[in-house]
Amino acid sequence: MKKRSGRSRFVFLCAAPAVILFTIFMIIPTINVFRMSLFRRSAYSTTEEFVKLDNFTRLMSDGNFIRSIQNTILLIVVVTIITFAFALVFAAILTREEIKGQNFFRIIFYIPNILSVVVISAIFSAIYDTNNGTLNSLLSLFSGKTVAVLWKGENMVMTSLIIAMIWQAIGYYMVMYMASMASIPQSLYESAGLDGAGRITQFFQITLPLIWTNIRTTLTFFIISTINMAFLFVKAMTSGGPNGASEVALSYMYKQAYTNSSYGYGMAIGALVFLFSFGLSALVNVVTKREPLEF
Amino acid sequence: MKKILSILLVAALAMSTLAGCSGKKEEAPAPAPEQSEAPAEAPAEAEAPAETEAPAVGATITVAAIETAYGSKMWEDVCAAFTEETGINVELITDKNLEDVIGPSMQAGDYPDVIHLATGREKALTETFIKDQNIVDITDVLSMTVPGESAKVGDKIAGGFTETSLTNPYGDGKTYLAPMFYSPCGLFYNAGLMEEKGWTVPTTWDEMWELGDKAKAEGISLFTYPTTGYFDAFFYALMYSVGGAEFFDKATNYEEGIWDSEEAKTCFDIVAKLASYTEPTTPAQANDQDFTKNQQLVLDNKALFMPNGTWIVGEMAEAPRADGFKWGMTALPAVEAGGDGYSYTWFEQAWIPGGAEHQDEAKQFIAFLYSDKACELFAGAVNADGEPAPAIQPVLGIADTLEGDNQMFYAIYDNGAKAAMGNFAAYDSGVVGVSNREVWFDPVNSLVSGNMTEEQWIDGIKAVNDQMRENLIQ
Amino acid sequence: MERTKKSSAERLYKIFIYVALITLAISILVPVAWVFMASIKENSEFYGNPWALPAGFYIQNFADAWGKARMGEYMMNSVLVTVLALLILLVVALPAAYVLSRFEFKGRKFLNAAFMGGLFINVNYIVVPIFLMLVDGDKFLRGIIGDGFLLNNIFVLALVYASTALPFTIYLLSGYFATLAHDYEEAAYIDGAGYGKTMVRIIFPMAQPSIITVILFNFLSFWNEYIIAMTLLSDPKGGKTLPVGLMQLTQAQQSAAQYGQLYAGLVLVMLPTLILYICVQKKLTQGMTLGGLKG
Repeated sequence: MKKRSGRSRFVFLCAAPAVILFTIFMIIPTINVFRMSLFRRSAYSTTEEFVKLDNFTRLMSDGNFIRSIQNTILLIVVVTIITFAFALVFAAILTREEIKGQNFFRIIFYIPNILSVVVISAIFSAIYDTNNGTLNSLLSLFSGKTVAVLWKGENMVMTSLIIAMIWQAIGYYMVMYMASMASIPQSLYESAGLDGAGRITQFFQITLPLIWTNIRTTLTFFIISTINMAFLFVKAMTSGGPNGASEVALSYMYKQAYTNSSYGYGMAIGALVFLFSFGLSALVNVVTKREPLEF
Repeated sequence: MKKILSILLVAALAMSTLAGCSGKKEEAPAPAPEQSEAPAEAPAEAEAPAETEAPAVGATITVAAIETAYGSKMWEDVCAAFTEETGINVELITDKNLEDVIGPSMQAGDYPDVIHLATGREKALTETFIKDQNIVDITDVLSMTVPGESAKVGDKIAGGFTETSLTNPYGDGKTYLAPMFYSPCGLFYNAGLMEEKGWTVPTTWDEMWELGDKAKAEGISLFTYPTTGYFDAFFYALMYSVGGAEFFDKATNYEEGIWDSEEAKTCFDIVAKLASYTEPTTPAQANDQDFTKNQQLVLDNKALFMPNGTWIVGEMAEAPRADGFKWGMTALPAVEAGGDGYSYTWFEQAWIPGGAEHQDEAKQFIAFLYSDKACELFAGAVNADGEPAPAIQPVLGIADTLEGDNQMFYAIYDNGAKAAMGNFAAYDSGVVGVSNREVWFDPVNSLVSGNMTEEQWIDGIKAVNDQMRENLIQ
Repeated sequence: MERTKKSSAERLYKIFIYVALITLAISILVPVAWVFMASIKENSEFYGNPWALPAGFYIQNFADAWGKARMGEYMMNSVLVTVLALLILLVVALPAAYVLSRFEFKGRKFLNAAFMGGLFINVNYIVVPIFLMLVDGDKFLRGIIGDGFLLNNIFVLALVYASTALPFTIYLLSGYFATLAHDYEEAAYIDGAGYGKTMVRIIFPMAQPSIITVILFNFLSFWNEYIIAMTLLSDPKGGKTLPVGLMQLTQAQQSAAQYGQLYAGLVLVMLPTLILYICVQKKLTQGMTLGGLKG
């Protein structure tokens, strides 16, 4: 009896601090995002007006908001596909083949992930410079004529963001998939090799199915992460410009809340982004469902 | 397998957590609403009587001033001089991102007594306070005597400065914001290049287009701009030169149908035509990180004109430039021969937030800003690198005391250009989700790159005009 | 004949792989090296070709950044916040993860699900409500004790960091604790050790590898974070963290740009993470799939 009560007290003491902090700094603020989206108020005054779903109906006809959502979706789709494809292929190569300096490559590829987005943006601003930038210089070198692509211009700005985001993410996923691929028994490949399966067949028949659970989980979280990373990159590299061409959902939320002092309107965007990312994660989770393979 | 899943999940999360927290520049989450004990009804309750001239020795006021090209040293000097004169202590806050610094504590109800900022900044703090009617009426300061002098404040401030919509935002004849540090804005160019080529500075837009074609033949673009934010001064001056003060007032008050008028059409056509003459890399660099590259275009003789302010000289002081480069500045050309050229007068503002604790002392401080002593200290400002960067107070007769480039810049009004002052009228928080810059000026980027037509631009403006008019602060 | 053909294709394939890997490695190394190079350039050198080698070793940039731009002071703040946040995080998360993974009690399923859900909440969605809550707290405190202390408080910032890192940390630690056999505790209880003692003396030491992983990942995220830091530490005379200070250096419209100081600042932000990474890269990349190697 004594032991039992001691046990629940122990459990309580251990769990309570975490639960309290989690509730105060995560649960309540999240609820507040949704609550505030139903109000209209300005940043520095005390007035607050309940406007029901006005903010949301206004969003539906706000062309800039719709564009920011389109940009977000574009980034999610393109960055995800390219990052995952490259990371998986490179990881397979590095684990399966005998590559000299394998460790060296692994160390280098991971570096972008430990850098602050401030640093990465400063680097890419120099790369994308129209007249002196590396990218245009390289292109000029290969094409033999002067190339002056406006990387931060309206037509190219999303492409530029995509490149920077892939650069940042690719190494991380590669290293992670390398670790999980390393756990696939060598014998599976050997017997497949004896059956005449080539590298590509082995990749699709053995490697991918066996780490499918891993891919599926990372994919789900990658979507949430991309929504957030897109915001960090946009704020640091383009400020949403030119003329809103690179605005994404979260950066538009910040712009409304802080620049335009449309606070409730900003939180309405925040609420939609919440629902959108949850919904998309759930969707990906369902779509990618497969029978788990054990080895 | 389950274990693997959870670990991988975690690893994936590590990614998003890492990503989520990595740093990134710019744009503070400026503060949010709700809290301030600030009386929202502040402007109405301008209690302080004008005769608070007895020095309240020992009191301490907080002054928050934006640090710009002028550096922060001049503020320290002026505050020290003020304390010496009145015995009122000053706690000074200066920062390049003043909004981020004072915003959050104001939300918590802790207001500086005097705030010095410019309108048109990205975070629009001043505009927000105007919108919320959260600024103290300082009309009475104009009839106060400048501390340590016998002249009245209102008599020292140059004509017109306290009658603009920037200082009297509600159009009720009351002054809420004190005009500070004026600077003529106009088109900046390389005077050396014009001389060398034997080109004359255009006085009408037709001459401008002619020059544009001549320059194009030599591989030089007619025009560039740092960011679209620089179009506000440009557009205001343009509106004045097209339709005079009457059109300007109607337009900045969003009068119904104003953007369908002949005058508006002329303005839009000029900007659209100018866009076609703009250096093509401009929009790609018209952001807060790369805007100096656009300014560099003028220094390198790749573009002829750009809208800017007198601070450009100090800002680009260290940048390399073409041989024989010499700064020149001109007003906007007139619409037709014999018409008026206009130069927009840009100035900053000092004001007292509604929540300020020491409003009487704050008013004395504002009065002191126009004293000979303060004007001299401001004019003697040096920037962070020790270069002179004079801040010019809008008091009578000050232009005579200047030298060098500045004498030329500030003489622009003596050379026939008319002064354009004022800005878009303030609207309240009923306007949701749009701002003037987004609708009027940002699309210029798209006009230049060809992603938007003049029609689409005008339609965008018309679409929000009514919303703004309906929510004007009366 | 067949053999040689195959091996030459094999060689081509190998060459292709090396070229791809080396290109990627260069695309990562060169830009990072560029920042270091730029940090020793004089201000006037920044207007020319950004890829030109520095004219000399202009160390003054670092002195200016450290002193004039207060980077030295900001660095101390960053160190303090990071260390404090890690301490709070470990003290709170370790016991919670332990009981959540190894004790049966009422509500355990619910709590696990709640923390799991927390994984989907991105801190950038909720920083504003968090800030508002602290503001309200300060107002309340002012009413009672005449002064608020929640804003501009490095300890509170550390607390927010720790709290928002809880779901991830608890998830990672629980995953590890769940793999341990129950025999360890049984043996300790038989020896007469209480719950607390068993946890601290027996279990925690065994979890050392995952604890190190937790520290590494969270160090990176706390060190690079700046949105929360900027919002919660707003007093100009008070501290800022390094990324916030750096960000302020980057925005200097209408005043002479200090490129040298900026890049010196970038190096100061990068250097600690790079050094740490080089020292522990093995642990970090292993930690990603810790325990995931089939076992």
